[in-house]
Parts: sequence; structure tokens; C-alpha cells
Amino acid sequence: MVKRVLLAEDEPNIAESLTFLLERAGFEVSVKTDGRQALDAALSDTPDVLILDVMLPEMSGYEVLRHLRADRRAETLPVLMLTAKGQRADRETALESGADLFITKPFANSEIIDAVKQLAEAGAD
Amino acid sequence: MHRSIVGARIRQRRRALGLKQAELAQRIRISPSYMNLIELNKRRIAGSLLRRIADALSMPLEELDGVSERRLFETLSGLANHPSFRTLGAEVERASELIGRFPAWAKGLGELAQSEQEATLRVQLLSDRLSNDPYLSETLHRMLTRIAAVRSTTEILNEYADMSDERRDRFNRIVHEEIQSLSEVGEALTAYLDRAEDSERVLTPVDEVEAMFDARDKQFVEIETAAALLAPSLNDVHSASLRSKAKELAEERLGSVIDDLIEREPSIKTAAAAGRARRALLDYAVGAIVMPMDAFARHAADTKYDLELLADVFSAEFHAVCHRLTALPRAGSTPRFGYFCANAAGTIIEMMGLDGFTAQRYAAACPLWVLFSAQQSPETVIRQRVLFPSGERFVFVARARHVGPSGFGRPRNYRTDMLVMKEADAHQTVYAPEPSAIVEEVGPGCRICPRTMCQHRVEDPLSE
Repeated sequence: MVKRVLLAEDEPNIAESLTFLLERAGFEVSVKTDGRQALDAALSDTPDVLILDVMLPEMSGYEVLRHLRADRRAETLPVLMLTAKGQRADRETALESGADLFITKPFANSEIIDAVKQLAEAGAD
Repeated sequence: MHRSIVGARIRQRRRALGLKQAELAQRIRISPSYMNLIELNKRRIAGSLLRRIADALSMPLEELDGVSERRLFETLSGLANHPSFRTLGAEVERASELIGRFPAWAKGLGELAQSEQEATLRVQLLSDRLSNDPYLSETLHRMLTRIAAVRSTTEILNEYADMSDERRDRFNRIVHEEIQSLSEVGEALTAYLDRAEDSERVLTPVDEVEAMFDARDKQFVEIETAAALLAPSLNDVHSASLRSKAKELAEERLGSVIDDLIEREPSIKTAAAAGRARRALLDYAVGAIVMPMDAFARHAADTKYDLELLADVFSAEFHAVCHRLTALPRAGSTPRFGYFCANAAGTIIEMMGLDGFTAQRYAAACPLWVLFSAQQSPETVIRQRVLFPSGERFVFVARARHVGPSGFGRPRNYRTDMLVMKEADAHQTVYAPEPSAIVEEVGPGCRICPRTMCQHRVEDPLSE
């Protein structure tokens, strides 16, 4: 069965590149460009993996994650966080908020694909 | 070394001005015999008396009490420990001899050492600014985002030879667009750094004083210790005159502790900052006398950090209680507090930051903070539950107070004090928001705020 990835990313060019890559890797991708839309979609569509940018309009990635982890429907949803801030404090905040993996921009495409595959497989177990 | 020359200096200067000993004594309101003992170095003087004498003789305090020589001695001793001097075997113990016998050479050497130290400090400050300035941090974030898009897209163009021409053209356009944006961010960043280099000083006096408070984690143990000994002398003082008595005590008894502290403090480099630091530390000392830390910390926890109750318990002013809360020692789960004060023009005139709380340092803060709206309801404590774009939640507690003379027909001028705490910490306080309380979306200040659709925005973010 095709695995579904929800991509929460407000930078359209990055979203386009990542969608292309993930589709080529065999995933079905839907994109949301702000935090509120991403939260709604994560709760209603229950994707297999959520790729969540930290800096999103309306609601930050951390805030989205906090809501998700407080909701039974998404408390175990595998989440990969993306940020351009690679400082240790950001990494700690992401992991404390409940992210499973954390990748900083600029990233290598293979990093993202490997991480999503890993999370999708772990989620299926 | 310097104490023994104070009396001689006073006498020398007094005579140069043609003043009689009794005249000088009268001007500074002490007896002529006491003046005589001072001039004979038989009485040690410091603090406000020394200041009054310096004023009466129209000479800088540091010239009078020998602090200049002491500073020079310390500078030269420090220089002797510099790696390049240490290898020469410079004799530290003979620094005072150098000052005595070759004062001009000693002074010149001291100035060179100081200028080298300032240059090093400036490099450290610029480096610190690169890692902490929210403006730069935000710009670097945008830059990394653009680079991420370019990197990802070019990798796709290289690795997926089988894509359609239409798709290839689209990705080529993305690379072009992103490189264009990247160059715009780069130009804006260069312009910003040029402006920073053009400015004469890296720090303002306000920054220097804040740096001093930050370096001490907002606590000054030497003042706390001395103040705790003075606190019992307020026991019989009526609450109405408590503050003025504490102020008097702070000036008389802690003035020299404060002067020594400022003198040793490396972040205080200018006379303007030294004056500001003195006022800030005198306020701190008054707070420490009126609200001794042990009792204050206990009452703070008992009242759940209720600012008004604490102000009543200690007969202190609201803003003094705010200050005192920022000085609470770090212990276990004790909440941490930040403090801001703004005038009627919305200018932040005092800021004591909080770990993890980003405020725009070099431009106006977010107009949505209750700090700015509290003046519409003076003397009322207002709470605001806020969400920052980073996802962090804080609770603000603000109250506007009347400043200046009262009276019918007089203008009413206000200042607002605002206490800041993390929402997680607020749960230990009376200001804990109910789960249903409105969460207001605010930011650190327009220039670094990513809320592009905010209707209160007055300035574009740097690279939009």
C-alpha cells in the first residue's frame, strides 16, 4: 500500500522539490502551507509521516506538534521536523516537543528520503 | 597604596584654590577638626563624604582618592601577565615604581594596554552579536532556507535525467528565482553589517548596564550581604518614610560598595554607563534593604508571586517588586522573571531579559504587547497570555504608574512596568491563565517577525 506523507512547508519552491522527490520515492504527498491547515490535515487524514517545518505562518511547527501529541489520533504519528536553525537549542526544543527526527536546512535530498522511509517503516511496525 | 595620599591631595587642592581648612569644612558640613584629621590622613573617608569633598574642590572623584593610580597599577599588573610580557620576565612588583618615577611612560603604556583590551572586547562583542542578534539570526534563517531550495533543486536536476522538459524548465526557473532572492538577502545583510560598522560604539550605556546585570545573573551578592545587615535598622521606621530612609542608607552605607563594584566591572566602559550603573545599583540596594532576599523569596512563594501583595507586605513600589523578582536566586523550580519598562512614547527604557525570550533590541518591540496598551487603564494590573511565532508561550503582567508631580491641572505622565514569565512558570503564580484564556499572537518586533499578514505591522522583515 502506498504510504502517505503530509508536508507542512510554506516555502513553495522547497515544497515543490520535496514533493517531486517523495513521489519519485513512491510516496503519496499532500502539501499544507500554514500551521493550522497542517494540524487539521494531520488529525483528519492521519498520514503515515508528517514533515513539519518549524517556521510556519498562523501556528509554528512546535505549536502544531504540541497539539498533535496531546490528541489521541496523532500522539504516535511519526514526525520529521525541518528548520533552518541548526542550533542546539532548536534541536532540543524540537525533540522535547515530540519530534521523532530533526533535519536542518540546507539538507541533502537523500537525508530527507532516508529519514521519511525510516519513519514510515517504523510507523508500520 | 592610594589611601595614604587622599588627605595630602585634599590639602594640596584646597590650597591651590585659596580656601581655608575651616571654609572647606563648612562647605561640606563637617567640623574643622574632623577636616584637619582627614587632611592628615588620620581618618579614612569614602562614599558620599569623599564625593562631597571632590565636588567642593571641583575635581573628579578618581583623581582625589587615587583611583587613577590604582587603575593604572592594575592595568600594568595585568599587562605583565600578558603572554608576550611574561616571556620578557616583566617585574610585576615594580609597576608602582614605574608609575612613581616615569608617570607619563606608565600612563602611555597603560593606555596602549587598554586600547588593546578594548579592541579584543569589540571583536568579542561583534562575534557575540553575530550569534545572538535576532535580526541577524532571522536573516541567516532566510539565507539558509534559500540555500536549501537551491541545493535540493540542483541535486534533482543532476540526479533525475529522465524528467520531462517542462519539469526541467520549471526546476531551472526555481534555481534562478532562489539565487536571485539569495543575492537580495546577501545585499541586505551586507548593508546591515556596514551600518553596524559605521556606528561609533557597539554598545550603548543601556547595553553596558544590561550586560553588567546579565553577567551577574541579575544578582549582586556583595550588595545583598551588606543590605541584609542594614535591613533591621528600618524596623522602627514608619512605612511612609521607609523608602526615603532606605535610599539614604543605600547612598551613605553602600555607595562605596557600589562604586567598587562598578570600577571592577569590565562591561562598564563609559562615564555615561558608569552613572547609569550607579543609579541602577542604588535602586537595587534600596530594594535589597527594603526586601531582604531571604524574607522576600519566602513571601514571594507564599503569595504565589502576587506583585501587589508583595508591594503591600514590604511597603515597596510595584516596579521595585518586579526588579526584586528578577533577582530571585535560581533554585529548583523557582520561576524565572524578565522585566520591561516603557515610557508613554512606547520606548523601552529598561529591559531585563529572560532566557528564551526574544525581544527586538535595536528597534521598537511588538505593539501588541500589553506593555503598550496598559497605559489606557493606569494603575490596573493586566495579564496577557501570548504566543510567539517560535511557538513559545509567555505570560505578561503589566501596570502603568503615574510618574512626576501630582496635582490638579498638572499633566499626567505614565510609565508601564511589565513582568515576563514562561507560561509553564506562570502556573506557580497567581497569574496562571485558565485553559480557556485567550492566547494572543504577538511577536518580538516587526523587523524580525515572520507574521507577514499581521495588520499591526509597521516595518517589513529584512529580506521580504
